[in-house]
Amino acid sequence: MKQQSLEIIHDEHRALAAMLNGLRAIAAGIESGRLQPDYALLADMIRYIDEVPEKLHHPKENDYLFRLLRPRCPEAVPVIEQLEAEHAQGDARIAELRAALASWQQAGAAGFAAFHEVLTTYLDQEWRHMNTEEHEVFPLARKHLTAEDWAEIDAAFLANDNPWQGAAGEYQALFTKIVNVAPAPVGLGG
Amino acid sequence: MSNMLLEAKELHTYYGASHILHGIDFNIRQGEGIALMGRNGMGKSTLIKSMLGIVRPKHGRVLVRGDDFTKAPTYRTAQRGIAYVPEGRGIFPNLSVRENLQMSARAGVDGQREWTFERVMATFPRLGERINNGGWQLSGGEQQMLTIGRALMTNPDLLILDEATEGLAPLIAMEIWRIVKEIRKTGIATVIVDKNHGAVTSICDRAMILVKGEVVFDGSSDEVRANPELIQKHLGV
Repeated sequence: MKQQSLEIIHDEHRALAAMLNGLRAIAAGIESGRLQPDYALLADMIRYIDEVPEKLHHPKENDYLFRLLRPRCPEAVPVIEQLEAEHAQGDARIAELRAALASWQQAGAAGFAAFHEVLTTYLDQEWRHMNTEEHEVFPLARKHLTAEDWAEIDAAFLANDNPWQGAAGEYQALFTKIVNVAPAPVGLGG
Repeated sequence: MSNMLLEAKELHTYYGASHILHGIDFNIRQGEGIALMGRNGMGKSTLIKSMLGIVRPKHGRVLVRGDDFTKAPTYRTAQRGIAYVPEGRGIFPNLSVRENLQMSARAGVDGQREWTFERVMATFPRLGERINNGGWQLSGGEQQMLTIGRALMTNPDLLILDEATEGLAPLIAMEIWRIVKEIRKTGIATVIVDKNHGAVTSICDRAMILVKGEVVFDGSSDEVRANPELIQKHLGV
């Protein structure tokens, strides 16, 4: 069975992981004094993880994968509930990240530590979240979902033609812009 | 007429006394994409180099478009529409981006010139921003893009990428994989050697796994992606 929806989720996780990794590396560069803050770049990176994973990726998981897995696999319910709760907190966590960035920008260098702390907490939570999905939920989904379940999930995922790129390629353009602006070696920028 | 581009039959390759490839069979047809995977030191790059004449196999045969190329020099393989993007890049550091690209330009085997300078610029807009910079002034990611761009300027039928994202940050690697995916859609056959099995199996329809110089899996990428045990056993760290 092909399970194209899981392949799409894996692809989306890879793009998100790259963005999270980039954020962590840039923050580390600023902390060490190697990089100067580029608030616009950081705002774009936060916008990406808000608009793509939070608004497109997580709802698909909730509405299709998790919904169908619940009745098929009772042992997965506690972890699904935990992941859904984390999805529900997504907007608030992004808002906190944005507010921390704005505070830092206003306060100058003295505000970096507070932003860095909020960012690190966010990144750690996101990594844990993705790992739980990849290592706990997806194996259970592979094991317990039926061919009909996968057909429904795949249809839903494939119906929305490559949402990771955006209807007009806007998210792909944002990703490419970030890669081009982010300082080397994180990205291609100067 | 056969649409086979590159074949290896029973290849045995040695480095000194070390027996690296143990009778490998390999083939790729026009338009096909193969993810060539395995842990470090399993023979992936040696297989590529053996087929391209960079390393001489001790036994076995290499066929390019059905012709025996076992003892052919590497440049002849390149002239038959096979472009190789090696590990570690290999651009000309003293030439500009424009010069690096222009010096590679040539028609493909059937006279096709679909990959023009302008098209490569459109595929890698970043190179356009660096067009007059010397190769030595480029970052690692830009050098990798330039290397792929140069390979495309030869209008190949088969593009071989050997660890194309090695040492690059994940954001840049993702961008390169996106571009390679676009290149694949144009119908160029592709062999991709990489440790990132998730990325390469999403680009290629077929997958091969090497373990200690032998093929332990040759099937569809879908089979690999749906089989975490296979990934853990042969590719996991």
